[in-house]
Amino acid sequence: MVKEAYDGPILEIDNLSISFFTRLREIPAVMDFSVSVMPGEAVGLVGESGCGKSTVALGVMQDLGKNGQIVGGSIKFKGRDLGQMSAAELRDIRGSEIAMIYQEPMASLNPAMKIGKQLMEVPMIHQGLGAAEAHARALQVVTDVKLPDPARILDSFPHQLSGGQQQRIVIAMALMSEPSLLILDEPTTALDVTVEAAVVDLVKELGAKYGTSMLFISHNLGLVLETCDRLCVMYSGEAVETGSIKDVFDDMRHPYTQALFRSIPLPGADKSARPLKAIPGNFPLPHERPPGCNFGPRCTYFQAGRCDAGDIPMEEVVGADRHHSRCLRFSEIDWYAPFDAGEVHAPSVPGKVVLKVNALKKHYEVAANALFGSSGATRVVKANETISFEARESETLAIVGESGCGKSTFAKVLMGLETATSGQIMLYDQDIENTPIEMRNTDTVSSVQMVFQNPFDTLNPSMTVGRQIIRALEIFRIGKTDAERKERMFRLLDLVKLPREFAERMPRQLSGGQKQRVGIARAFAGGAKIVVADEPVSALDVSVQAAVTDLLMEIQREEKTTLLFISHDLSIVRYLSDRVMVMYLGHVVEMGATDQVFAPPYHPYTEALLSAVPIADTSVEKERIVLEGDIPSAMNPPPGCPFQTRCRWKAQVPDGLCEAELPPVREIAAGHQIKCHLSAEILGRMEAVIKVAAE
Amino acid sequence: MDPLSTSQIALRILAQFLPVWIALVALFVVSIRYKRRLGLYGKLFDSTIGMIGFGLVMFWVFTGVFGAMDLIVTHDPLAQLSGMKNKKPGTPLPSPEEGEYAWYLLGGDNLARDVFSRMVKGAWIVVQIAPLATLFAFMVGITLGLPAGYYGGRLDTVLSFLANLILAFPVILLFYLLVTPEIVATGVPQYMAVVLFVFPLVFFGVLIHSRYRAQPQRNRTMLAVVLVPLFLAYMSLINTPGSKIDFWPLDVFDVPGGILVVFVSVVFVNAPTVFRIVRGLAMDIKTRDYVAAAQTRGEGPWYIMLWEILPNARGPLIVDFCLRIGYTTILLGTLGFFGLGLPPESPDWGSTINEGRKLLSIYLHPALPPAFALLSLVLGLNLLADGLREESLRD
Repeated sequence: MVKEAYDGPILEIDNLSISFFTRLREIPAVMDFSVSVMPGEAVGLVGESGCGKSTVALGVMQDLGKNGQIVGGSIKFKGRDLGQMSAAELRDIRGSEIAMIYQEPMASLNPAMKIGKQLMEVPMIHQGLGAAEAHARALQVVTDVKLPDPARILDSFPHQLSGGQQQRIVIAMALMSEPSLLILDEPTTALDVTVEAAVVDLVKELGAKYGTSMLFISHNLGLVLETCDRLCVMYSGEAVETGSIKDVFDDMRHPYTQALFRSIPLPGADKSARPLKAIPGNFPLPHERPPGCNFGPRCTYFQAGRCDAGDIPMEEVVGADRHHSRCLRFSEIDWYAPFDAGEVHAPSVPGKVVLKVNALKKHYEVAANALFGSSGATRVVKANETISFEARESETLAIVGESGCGKSTFAKVLMGLETATSGQIMLYDQDIENTPIEMRNTDTVSSVQMVFQNPFDTLNPSMTVGRQIIRALEIFRIGKTDAERKERMFRLLDLVKLPREFAERMPRQLSGGQKQRVGIARAFAGGAKIVVADEPVSALDVSVQAAVTDLLMEIQREEKTTLLFISHDLSIVRYLSDRVMVMYLGHVVEMGATDQVFAPPYHPYTEALLSAVPIADTSVEKERIVLEGDIPSAMNPPPGCPFQTRCRWKAQVPDGLCEAELPPVREIAAGHQIKCHLSAEILGRMEAVIKVAAE
Repeated sequence: MDPLSTSQIALRILAQFLPVWIALVALFVVSIRYKRRLGLYGKLFDSTIGMIGFGLVMFWVFTGVFGAMDLIVTHDPLAQLSGMKNKKPGTPLPSPEEGEYAWYLLGGDNLARDVFSRMVKGAWIVVQIAPLATLFAFMVGITLGLPAGYYGGRLDTVLSFLANLILAFPVILLFYLLVTPEIVATGVPQYMAVVLFVFPLVFFGVLIHSRYRAQPQRNRTMLAVVLVPLFLAYMSLINTPGSKIDFWPLDVFDVPGGILVVFVSVVFVNAPTVFRIVRGLAMDIKTRDYVAAAQTRGEGPWYIMLWEILPNARGPLIVDFCLRIGYTTILLGTLGFFGLGLPPESPDWGSTINEGRKLLSIYLHPALPPAFALLSLVLGLNLLADGLREESLRD
């Protein structure tokens, strides 16, 4: 197929409306949506889950399934209406002219087919190339996406690659026939931050190299800032603001965009002095949208009788480049008014030591033969290596690290789901590292509780919310009668700011944020002293994240709980934690007060981690540090320092010490410890990764 | 009187089923009107396949129930009327008495009994035994499958091996062995009953205890309320005068030895398959966060298995339950066909097909109605399972 030259907009979406038809009703998913993508341009599509951003992408691919239908408007690709094309024409275009990259790399690759064969299929089908040529082309593209040893990769199956490598292959596949338009639907959400940074760099670089236009769908404003030229903010099925990155980030003209920026933890936000401002209320369900402005009920600038009168059109913002807003009042609002931070709290003062961990180790023995475990060689997975720290009352200690760093294993040992290999965990004056949960007394169990990551998984789907909280009260032996427990359950619902009627609801009737609140209520049912929060907000939408984080902080202030906050999101860690502990491959590589860890000198891994986190602020300048390769397997850790395989400072240490010897823990300032061979002088020369431009 | 024509036979059969039609129409009208409030059951009425299946199944359920109430049957299924041997469908009785139905609607069998009435009565036997036996098989499968899937490891290896062993044993041979008088005399089927029927007790005991263990007072009451009647029923069930197990004084009822063997064999061959399904589901669900949440608040393993895992595995289990009743129906037919378990004159479908088979080349009509009945019930159950599966996946 010959690609014709075309210099108009690559993609032109005009007043697009898409609905899904269920057996009950028609559900409008996208309404009156317009966007255009020029050649070589990258356009971001930002919004919370359920706002219709993925539906737009599926609409472009004309792949809406049985229930979905385009009910108005048009989608033009290079001037041709995609809606008018036959199935055969669409097949020609998909994969060759428009390519799509999905969120889950494993789900996009055929697990039964070798990588090479899957890649070769694309040019063989679309360009009619021969096998040899196709193979050469596959080899070329795999080299382009910077995978080591391309020939070996082509000859392997998808499961033999890591998540980051798989996503690179998916990108390679999308680029095989040099498409004019690349649609990326949350391409890095399933990946770790350092891997994400590398993939994002790659996408940007390849976009420039091949001149591909991109439609980048994401919920992460920081990521969009790094990758796109323009963006379109969506809310509840409508585009509410479009414009260039600079205009929208610095001179936003829609209350939703403003509220969104105020709810994400940017550098400078502080839980006591400058707390985040959550957007009040909930995202409306598609069939319960309010009349007039969809954002009206949650908007601080709402005017009754005007904003809820009728449909609101997109209006151009005068004096900017293609900047539009769907707000009636955008010219009246003072966008530069300093924002009212709300309640300001005095910083909490840490009290006495609640938890003391001393040289804790957890090793797993993996038998070579699962059926007859006693025979054959066993391999040891060192999940946790000599962890030592103290946590005080009403203190927030963040545990940071990417998947596989051992943070979840540590949580399991602390909770008593596993027992420690060696070392000590002291809860007040009680040794608990070798007491499995069945042997712990009710008091111990109820004082160490956990909030889980996935809100859709944290509640039992077939039990009412009230019943689940009451069960926790029963098991912690709180309240003598059913009536007492019920009363206490109602008070817990009040505590997490849920209406009492929710006691009768089933979990599926709740939104993600509400479920997470129930999870928090359940964790605090027995008056927990230590709460382990395992990425409690990472699966939630940004506007809800702030509310749930605030709630956690508030309960912590009241109950003087010690919060162990496990996360990979450094923005939120910087915002809410008092101290930070960075883990890599089971080792604590750096620990200190939040300010110490976020300012140089860093451990080289912390430095890379900080650089990788996308920050949604145009005034922030970051140094790009992209880590090579993947995290080594914990079954087969590298000799010496665990980070030496990816460290960019390794050359600064003489005698190959990094490869030979595990670095000792050094205290470089009061309460700031680091596990690194770098000399004090080199550490002192380190520069800050994140610089906020002076304003 | 003249023999009935084909259309007359059809009309009269339809008229005989009048109570069934009324019940079916009433059920469908009510269900369709309130389908939005009835959960998964209501959703079934959005699927044509599901409705057809449900209609077929309920037709035979109502037929069984009304047949047992002597509403549909035209004659005593065991009565032999002289002159009606192997007569064609629609043959009038030679000398009908006052108030007696004047025709054999589907003819007579080789012992001059009414084929139509026997078919209707046969439905009752199936409707009674098949769901109950399947339920027992599920109790056994669930009670063993949950720990196998939840704990994994060596327990799982051992239990799975046993399940495979049973599944590998030829079913018909097993049945023959179980009903062989020498083996019955040793008490083996009874001992198997002792083991298999104890599972519902274990199941309910653990279910209640794990739920109320934090409240000892209520725990004791609930356990007593549920377990005492169950225990009495269990003892009456396994205790049969004059057999190996005959010591229990409070023997309230006796189950005929044949039926007991049927139950034992059905449970024995179905439980391993249920075990496998439950084990797989448990392995999947135990990785969920709500299971971890239960573990971290110190719940016991049985609470997690029965109250956190089992309710969330119910979707696939309900579908499998429907399918499995179908298999059990066929199994009952097979047992009847070989004359195993049920008494020889019993009107169950398997036995009647077997009797009809002997004269199949001369007289076709005695074997066809029960065969058709069996086919339509199993088809209905399979369609119902399909409909449920389809509807539970949609939203």
